[in-house]
Amino acid sequence: MLKKYSFPAAIFLLLALILAACGGNGGNASSNTVSSGNSGAGKPVEISFIHWQGDVPVWNEIIKDFEQENPGIKVSMQTFPSEQYQTTAQVKLLDGSVGDVFASFPGAQFESIAKAGLYTDLTNEAFVQSFVPELIKSGAKDGKQYALPYSLVYNIPVYNVGLFEQYNLSPPKDWDSFLAASETLKSNGIIPIAFPGADIGPGQFMNPMMMNNAPDEEVFQKLEKGETKLTDEWWTTTLSQFKELNDKGYFQPDSLGTNTDAAIALFSQGKAAMLATGSYSIAAVLKASPDLKLDLLAPITVPADQAIYEGIHTTTFMLGVNSKSKHPEEAKAFISYLSKKEVAGKVANAANQNIPVKDIEYTSPALQVISGWADKKTRFQPRYLITNIEIQKAVTGSIQAVIAGDSAEGAAGSAQAIVDQQLKP
Amino acid sequence: MAVRKTIYFFFVPGLLLYAIFFLYPTLSGFYNSFTDWDGMSDTSGFVGLDNYKTVADSIIFKKAIGNNLRFMLSVVVVQTLVSLIVALLLTKNKKTTVALRALYFFPTILSSAAVGFIAAYVYDPNLGLLNELLRMLGLSALANNWLGNPSLAIYSIAAIQAWAHIGQMAILFIAGLHAIPEELYEAAKLDGGGKWAIFRRITWPLLAPAATIVVAYTTIQSFKAFDLIFVTTRGGPNYATEILSTYIYSAAFQNYKFGQASAASIYFLFIIAFITFLQFRALRANRVSY
Repeated sequence: MLKKYSFPAAIFLLLALILAACGGNGGNASSNTVSSGNSGAGKPVEISFIHWQGDVPVWNEIIKDFEQENPGIKVSMQTFPSEQYQTTAQVKLLDGSVGDVFASFPGAQFESIAKAGLYTDLTNEAFVQSFVPELIKSGAKDGKQYALPYSLVYNIPVYNVGLFEQYNLSPPKDWDSFLAASETLKSNGIIPIAFPGADIGPGQFMNPMMMNNAPDEEVFQKLEKGETKLTDEWWTTTLSQFKELNDKGYFQPDSLGTNTDAAIALFSQGKAAMLATGSYSIAAVLKASPDLKLDLLAPITVPADQAIYEGIHTTTFMLGVNSKSKHPEEAKAFISYLSKKEVAGKVANAANQNIPVKDIEYTSPALQVISGWADKKTRFQPRYLITNIEIQKAVTGSIQAVIAGDSAEGAAGSAQAIVDQQLKP
Repeated sequence: MAVRKTIYFFFVPGLLLYAIFFLYPTLSGFYNSFTDWDGMSDTSGFVGLDNYKTVADSIIFKKAIGNNLRFMLSVVVVQTLVSLIVALLLTKNKKTTVALRALYFFPTILSSAAVGFIAAYVYDPNLGLLNELLRMLGLSALANNWLGNPSLAIYSIAAIQAWAHIGQMAILFIAGLHAIPEELYEAAKLDGGGKWAIFRRITWPLLAPAATIVVAYTTIQSFKAFDLIFVTTRGGPNYATEILSTYIYSAAFQNYKFGQASAASIYFLFIIAFITFLQFRALRANRVSY
């Protein structure tokens, strides 16, 4: 009997040994010894650059220029859809084979990459000085600069200046005038706010809606420590204001079924006066309707004299060097090149995005719209400061719940129950 | 004996692929379900059954199971009935069979993600084709917020899931129908059997093996549905379309709690196995042979 099964058993054992040799649960990844420099005689070192800006051809140009200036280094670029990148980048970075230079999102992704020790400390690198210090905090942790944001966006509604002028409206300075302006627009057959409630809307519009209701910039950190709750006034007030906008018909009908493209279409066609996304939508709007005069405005949810912030900014597309990279010096050289104001300006104007590098000259129409916002009092996007994705989903879910008909208190209570579960040790 | 050894040798590639792509990930996932591994760190700690308890207590996990059952039941009922009707129609109508089979089979060549993108545009409450069509037909009262209404969204996606796979299931039924001996129908007609009686006493009982496969496959497929939900609603609004696969994805790849995601996957495995077992038993009980 034993003999009968000996051969298959031997094959299975062999397989087990092969698997054991390949295996380990991800937790046994060995760390690479870092070496740098041009290893082969005359053969350029190839570094991998991974990110999510797939539709920006300017990157190919920049890389070509960099390679000409640095003949010993070749850059191999891979781009991924941002959704996919957000969830799988860490796994790709683990063995150091890709992503010598990589982009990352602030907040949850930054925290998890930092926790896994995948960032190289860039604090003392000279090129860090090229960036505006206040705008690179999202890439810093425990006094060390791990990543350098290469994109600056304002997460506040874009508005149609022409429509506002047509109805003698100016950007409202408090909640009552915001409601009054919305009513004027609605009574003239204009949708006051195009709200993409099916996808990015709740996560974007919550930021300006809550910025003055909870001026403490650490409010979500405190939520994650259990020191404040979504059932507290700052969030229930925000939810009741969302509900008020919805119940008064200031969002387009069925806003929870409207995705970003549809909301942009409503706004571009002049059917809606405000678009509850952010400055990153301006290029798409201008592409569809080049003659529209645009600007940004944030809803001020408190009386004018209590308003502390004028808007929201996010510094993202944070460039870092993989701590498991075999070519860290070449990777830093690439980031150093990108930090030059001429190079950053070229990317900024081609990609229609501000970059927190000092003294860039912005020439693209989409960026000229928002040029004045650099001097305003804006705060970093609060949602990105929630590091637990389930808590983030509970927060945005409570907004969807009030728009679907729940009370502010009920929606806040349900969301807080999820938060409480996440906070259990 | 030498021949037998040679036969075993030919098993090796298949066995190796099975071990690498199924056995190892399954065992590894089972092991991870007892750890607090975050998916990236070099170390992980053994936490016993903590992950299983955390997942079982989770409000979102319970919502996901409820949504998944609603989704699965809707898809199984609609997909099985419609694909059976389509199969019967295609088998009877000889002239148009090829063209119609191609037409019904067409959606199955599309990826779920592509179907999801199309569905999102069709369902858009303001600019979408479905509401426009209903308004044109004078059925404005039926126009709805298909994906944005929390009580409707899961069924809207179930309808798309069923539509996308009806052709595939119809082909299984068509194969089953072709396997039924024509003599049985001729004998039934000679005995004066009506269409319904023939279907009830001959066709349906002899289609039981095909129906078993269709129902089991549809159950597993609808439980595993991920890309369609992810593309259309991402589990929203407010968890209304969160199902087990999106819960596991979120826990593993967004929240970096691989241990909990693995525990949820093990629950997932047992739930599917249990439901499939019940279905096989129920459908086998109805099986007949002549």
